[in-house]
Amino acid sequence: METLYKILEEARADVDFRNQTGKLIDDGILDSFDIIAIIGEINEAFGIDISVDELLPENFNSPEAMMALIEKLQKEV
Amino acid sequence: MEFVSAIFLIFVAIVCVIYFAFPKKHRWVVLLIASYLFYWFNSTYLAAVLAGMTVVTWLTGLMIEKTSDKASEYFKEHQAQMTESERKSYKNSVTQKKKRILLLGVLIDLGVLLFFKYHNFFLGNAASLLGLFGIPMKDYRFDLLLPLGISFYTLQAIAYMVDIYRKKYRADRRFFRFALFMSYFPQIVQGPIARYHKLAEQIYQEHSFDFTRLKFGCQLILWGFMKKLILADRLGILVDTIFDNYTDYRGGILFLGAIGFGLQTYADFSGGMEIARGVSQIFGIELEINFKQPYFAKSIEEFWRRWHITLGTWMKDYIFYPLSLSKRFANLSKKARKLFGNYIGKKLPSFLAMFLVYFLVGFWHGSSWKYVVYGVWNGIIITSGILLAPVYQKGIALFHVKEDSYGWKFFQMVRTFLLCSLGRFFSRAGSCMIAFSMIRNMFLYPRTWEFFDGTLLTLGLDAKDLTVLAAMIILLLLVDIAHERGVKIRESIASQGFIFRWLIYWTAFYLVVIFGMYGPAYDSSSFIYQQF
Repeated sequence: METLYKILEEARADVDFRNQTGKLIDDGILDSFDIIAIIGEINEAFGIDISVDELLPENFNSPEAMMALIEKLQKEV
Repeated sequence: MEFVSAIFLIFVAIVCVIYFAFPKKHRWVVLLIASYLFYWFNSTYLAAVLAGMTVVTWLTGLMIEKTSDKASEYFKEHQAQMTESERKSYKNSVTQKKKRILLLGVLIDLGVLLFFKYHNFFLGNAASLLGLFGIPMKDYRFDLLLPLGISFYTLQAIAYMVDIYRKKYRADRRFFRFALFMSYFPQIVQGPIARYHKLAEQIYQEHSFDFTRLKFGCQLILWGFMKKLILADRLGILVDTIFDNYTDYRGGILFLGAIGFGLQTYADFSGGMEIARGVSQIFGIELEINFKQPYFAKSIEEFWRRWHITLGTWMKDYIFYPLSLSKRFANLSKKARKLFGNYIGKKLPSFLAMFLVYFLVGFWHGSSWKYVVYGVWNGIIITSGILLAPVYQKGIALFHVKEDSYGWKFFQMVRTFLLCSLGRFFSRAGSCMIAFSMIRNMFLYPRTWEFFDGTLLTLGLDAKDLTVLAAMIILLLLVDIAHERGVKIRESIASQGFIFRWLIYWTAFYLVVIFGMYGPAYDSSSFIYQQF
């Protein structure tokens, strides 16, 4: 989780991801360019491949949702 | 066999009768045979190319899936005993293996497309390049018949293989059923570019005969005929006159040519789509919508979300996102943010991917640099729009523009229409240089009086034709406005009284017969997108 926070904070230093209550995508806190940059780094750090089909708001609305997606993809080959 | 021909309608009618006469379970076989017959009529021996690519795509899908299944089983059994790094390296080796199979399949399919469509482009450019260094090269260029619809079904095939690689759905084990997905005749000529998970299930489903569907399908076909024969082919005469004699014209007339070509392409392509969707609807199969009133777009980006939608979504899913989400692009983004700051830095990789998409969209349209310029022109407008967004916002605030006012929205639509039309010079003119010279002559010598001094009557259409053209454009505009407002036109007509309803049907039919543009053998001209 710490690695994910680091990635998020590096991409958007102006957002407090640890105490964020709003929905990151639905509330427009992250835009599509942020998401693209973040996914690229997540893929590299966690050795997974997030594909287009997983690009759904519910997978990126909170750091917890992102972590759940990462863990799901880590269990798959 | 052209879509807009009597023989095609007879063909559809015969297929329809046989289709519904067959037992439900085997109706898809009728469609498969009809599809290959249709292909054979148009491209004869080139049907073998389609069949060959079908085999390659089908086998690739199966091989990727087999590799994937085997690895999943092994991983399930052994992952508990593996260390984290072992897991990573196992997953990596499986991904590499799957990637190699995918790459081989994609390269074969793409190779066939490149060979048939772009061989002269590459040979010609190689000769020019060598010429620059003073090395003479013999002219190896040769003419080949382009397999019908190859630009469309190659993209379908690639999407299928990538989706299996991404485990979006299971590979199809039934070869002949898969062959129908690749060759389904209403959409093979010029799309819409279908996705396996959306089309395949529908074409294998057991469809019963439905009179409403038949009626609505025929109405859609008729509307397609109206757009193609009354509008597109008539406008084509005017556009050809201007572009073929571009040195004779200046200013407004040249711009009329570009606008005309935009409208001609719209009527031609969307008309073709309506015929394809109408025919398909009769069988009970819904094809994707490829156009959503593109000329009501308020930005070029929105225009491409409304124009040739299935090509746009294909590019997004198989070029734009895979590139932007790749590790290489992630590293680039990191470096760019350090160099240019967060605002431009984080956008740069997406812009690069977007440029590549528009470059490919242009190149997909034809084997000439002018199409590349056409694509890149669109890319430049879109990226500059995003980059300059803060400046626009300041301007809007400064001039107190009400963004939700009708006036502002109308201005945005006109602006997008004009920018789109400028791009049309490149897609229609004989070459890039001609397009540049036409644009220069348009701006340097406006000659607006030529719209009123009778010049319009020298462009290949007489006063009667111009009136029909104007009336048809207005009708198309009204239909688009209705669609934009969510009105379901066919359902609305169906709810009218018997006399009014049939008056509309017969009027439409007679309009096509009387005002349709027919060639010497009573054949219409080919669809523009059929040649892509």
